[in-house]
Amino acid sequence: MKVLQVIDQAYRTTTEEQDDTILWLTQSMRGAGGDLMVLLSGHGVHYAISRERQPALTLGTWRQTQPAELPRDIANLVESGVPVYAIQDDLEERGLGGLALQNGVRPVARRAVAELYEQADQVWHW
Amino acid sequence: MSDTKTLTFAFMEPPFESERTVTFFRLLDAALDRGAGVRVFAYEGAVALAFARQQPHGNAVHHRDSEEEDHPLTKDWIAALQEKARSKGIGFEWINCGLCVDERGVNDVIEGCGRGGPPDLWRYASEAHNTLTIGTR
Amino acid sequence: MSHYLFIQSQDPFTETRTHHQFDLIGQLHDAGHKVAVLLVQNGVTPARRGAKSDLFDDLLRWGVTVRADQFALAQREIDHADLKDQVGVADMDLVIDAMLAGHKVIWH
Repeated sequence: MKVLQVIDQAYRTTTEEQDDTILWLTQSMRGAGGDLMVLLSGHGVHYAISRERQPALTLGTWRQTQPAELPRDIANLVESGVPVYAIQDDLEERGLGGLALQNGVRPVARRAVAELYEQADQVWHW
Repeated sequence: MSDTKTLTFAFMEPPFESERTVTFFRLLDAALDRGAGVRVFAYEGAVALAFARQQPHGNAVHHRDSEEEDHPLTKDWIAALQEKARSKGIGFEWINCGLCVDERGVNDVIEGCGRGGPPDLWRYASEAHNTLTIGTR
Repeated sequence: MSHYLFIQSQDPFTETRTHHQFDLIGQLHDAGHKVAVLLVQNGVTPARRGAKSDLFDDLLRWGVTVRADQFALAQREIDHADLKDQVGVADMDLVIDAMLAGHKVIWH
């Protein structure tokens, strides 16, 4: 069973969970043998061009010591054999079209997303 | 029962915050009506749905005491679906993502709800006839 | 040919992504797949007769099968007669039947 994980949002959990919760879920399921693909869409395309560690939050005397490392998480997914796609049109909408994608992230035109949906047995939209 | 199909649902919303929670439970109920076995992987905020220490309360604005208000609690919804499944002789399983439970401190869950992790979602999905995931906004 | 059921909770009045979601639905439909949409929650709002949403009306014009959740309609006091032509009414069993039939069921 091949599953396409569609990540259409970004930064919801990255501070509190110190990762993107669906990238993390995907990596965990991959570790359990899952056959997965990832489609970054909407604001999720920010992860495709991310280069830096997330800023550490400070509140009162509390300071975050392990902010999320999104580039690492994307790289780990790609290295583990999970194809990661980013919708080119969503990148361009957000002024990100001229930036280099992280190694291994594949751009896909919005008009080609339907083909990705067809490649998967199931589509899990988060 | 050998030809009972099982459906897996993954869900992320906590109780009391979103219409999605109601739609999700209606889907589980409908699945049981159709004779399908149900497996739930509760992720992130959804792990609070099974918290055993949810408590009803009265409502002064409604002019109702606790008994009159009869406030819905998701733990009761889960229990009712468990009962429905039992009466129909079909399966109803519920796993909370354990790390999500720990960070929220909702370790005290109702009977019949267990603890697991992402490999369980993959297992549930692999063994099910079909899977629906409902994220959060 | 594949079968898709989109459970559409997002609505075009408040969620910009709906535009692209509806486009994708249209693409799959145009590619010859069997595509249906169940409107739930605020997703039913553009289905009311008189609601102004070209995006939603395009779905109907393209011939995509669109139904609205009975419960969501009742919450919003939308009677069947208040719906735009071509919008049917359904309940959650539509989703379950699609899942049991092995369709790709996707939540928007």
